[in-house]
Amino acid sequence: MYRRSRVGGLIIALVLVASVIAAAENRKEFRFRVHRHASIEVINQFGPISVKPSVGHDVVVTAILHSDKAEIDSSHSGSRVSVSTHLLAGADPETGRVDYEVFVPADANVSLRSATGPIHAEKLHGDVILEGNTANMDVRDLSDGHVHIKTLDGPVTLTNINDGHVEITSVGGEVDLISVSGPLVHVNSNSGRIVYVGDFGGGGEYSLMTHTGDIEATAPAYASMDVLASSSQGKVVNDFPLQPVHTSLVEKAGSAFAGTMGKAASSVKLLSFSGRIHLKKR
Amino acid sequence: MTCEEFERVLPELEGGHNLEQEEHLRTCSACADLLSDLNAIEQNARLLGDQEPSPRVWNNIETALRRDGLIRQPQLQLVSATLHAPRWRFAWLVPIAAALVYGVGLLIMHWQVSTQVAHQGRITNPVVESSTLQSPSVSISEDPMIKLVADEAPGMRASYESNLRAVEAYIHDAELAARNNPNDEISQQHLTNAYEQRAMVYEMAMHRVLP
Amino acid sequence: MTGARKLQGDKVSEAEAIQRAKQGDAEAFEALYHLHKRRVYSLCLRMTANTASAEEFTQEAFLQLFRKIGTFRGESAFSTWLHRMAVNVVLMQLRKKGLPVVPLEETLETDEETHKKEPGADDVRLAGSIDRIQLEHAIANLPPGYRAVFLLHDVEGYEHNEIAKIVGCSIGNSKSQLHKARMRLRDLLKTSRAEKATKP
Repeated sequence: MYRRSRVGGLIIALVLVASVIAAAENRKEFRFRVHRHASIEVINQFGPISVKPSVGHDVVVTAILHSDKAEIDSSHSGSRVSVSTHLLAGADPETGRVDYEVFVPADANVSLRSATGPIHAEKLHGDVILEGNTANMDVRDLSDGHVHIKTLDGPVTLTNINDGHVEITSVGGEVDLISVSGPLVHVNSNSGRIVYVGDFGGGGEYSLMTHTGDIEATAPAYASMDVLASSSQGKVVNDFPLQPVHTSLVEKAGSAFAGTMGKAASSVKLLSFSGRIHLKKR
Repeated sequence: MTCEEFERVLPELEGGHNLEQEEHLRTCSACADLLSDLNAIEQNARLLGDQEPSPRVWNNIETALRRDGLIRQPQLQLVSATLHAPRWRFAWLVPIAAALVYGVGLLIMHWQVSTQVAHQGRITNPVVESSTLQSPSVSISEDPMIKLVADEAPGMRASYESNLRAVEAYIHDAELAARNNPNDEISQQHLTNAYEQRAMVYEMAMHRVLP
Repeated sequence: MTGARKLQGDKVSEAEAIQRAKQGDAEAFEALYHLHKRRVYSLCLRMTANTASAEEFTQEAFLQLFRKIGTFRGESAFSTWLHRMAVNVVLMQLRKKGLPVVPLEETLETDEETHKKEPGADDVRLAGSIDRIQLEHAIANLPPGYRAVFLLHDVEGYEHNEIAKIVGCSIGNSKSQLHKARMRLRDLLKTSRAEKATKP
């Protein structure tokens, strides 16, 4: 009798705890039917946003609210969908947190904003626009679309991005580009370090620039590029045997170099004010 | 009529066929198939759907129209529209607001400088060398944008201040380099990048504080 | 609902939107843009086969038009005016890049341009089985000159006399280029179908 009542008490306690948790976390799901090249926008103050491709023409948004201090506003007009977190008075980063999981057609254009993130997007063909303050941003396996990223201090990692324009502006966030190539790859960073590992392929324009952040670029020996690297006050190291070119740049051992590799298909600029620049060969 | 003769007149066959051509089509399956294929291509071409440009296109157009003065809405209407419309609708306002806010901040800074100088009895050269500029840290904390963030999102004030400080330092270095090397493309690129970073910091701050 | 969308939703006439745009009404500009953006963008995209260029040219076409909207008196349809602007913008850019728009000599034929297929060859009819995505891909693979005339005539519905004025060639040349474009598309579509059939 004693054991039964003890077990019963445990079960009641578990149920109570589960219902408290369920009450605290509120899950909402939205589904929108869109046409080709839809535009999807998700605006969140605190919390993660993850975007993956869906099957078919539906946009499915699942939002998990962590308290009643946040509400979800949504609008749908034609092929434009907008979902945003509306914070009520008294909300803070904990109570105002909303977790978004979004599935969109692969050709959709997405715009994601979260102050704290993290933000994740993968396997899309449309344009991807991300904005965050300290949000960790991870983008992978994109092709054909433009990628525009703005961050204050959040780290940015792009992996396997091809055939579109990539433009990243960062103040203090580190930017890692792994297998990123396309007609334009432009990173503008202040103190955030830029790391590039790839082949500078596609005959594109690559511009990696910082104020004080270091730049480390690793390319294969067969890379075909026209390189210009300069740091006004930092050190510059080059592992490639470059062919000299006519340039107005005054080559200065240790702080600037210019030259070509292979057929110089791509234009590569590595420029910093006082960061260290290293062009490595893998 | 031979197949070669028929193919030669194909480009002109929009209005229909004459009797000779009709007769050839009745007897030659290859030419009939060819004509059928070309017609099918034409018909399917008319049915191709239209595609949607990204929102960026309209944003750029609107910015250019405003810059050119072709959009002439009264400022009061614009402000009330801003307060009641969805945030993204007025994304274009952000850089203009940022520029205005910065301009006001600059005025305040210069007023402070000239006031201090007047007290000390020194003559201030309006074209100041970088070394005589006030230290950025004092002016940044007085920046109207920072004050706005402090009021609306106090938890983010420190972050915006430090970011703005870093960006102003970049602008300072880039302006100096551009002044010393006016024809240097690299210096110009750094300056452009530095301004771009500042615009971004203001824009993101506005995103946080505007309703 | 934004003002511009409301303009569309209330089916305010295009004429009224144009009048309001002439007075600097932002919502009127936006309404006009939303009314015509898809057609203009699609034309630019098909003519350039490049998203970034298409966006740039769409933007340029609308800007050129909006800058001249004060002079629009309604002699022709606004959409025709806009469309003509878009075509001119794209063709100008193609010419700037040195790409041939439409060759002047209609009778100039080379081996790679003519396809002397024997009658009764192995071809299967395309009619009734054209996949639109394949057609879009095939159009993107046309040489720029063929593509321009094909798009203007078969997709956009211009007549040869109009095309001749737009691209600066003779009516006969326009007809010849259109025919060659269709023949090339036929080959591309059949090749594409054959490749698909042989894939495991």
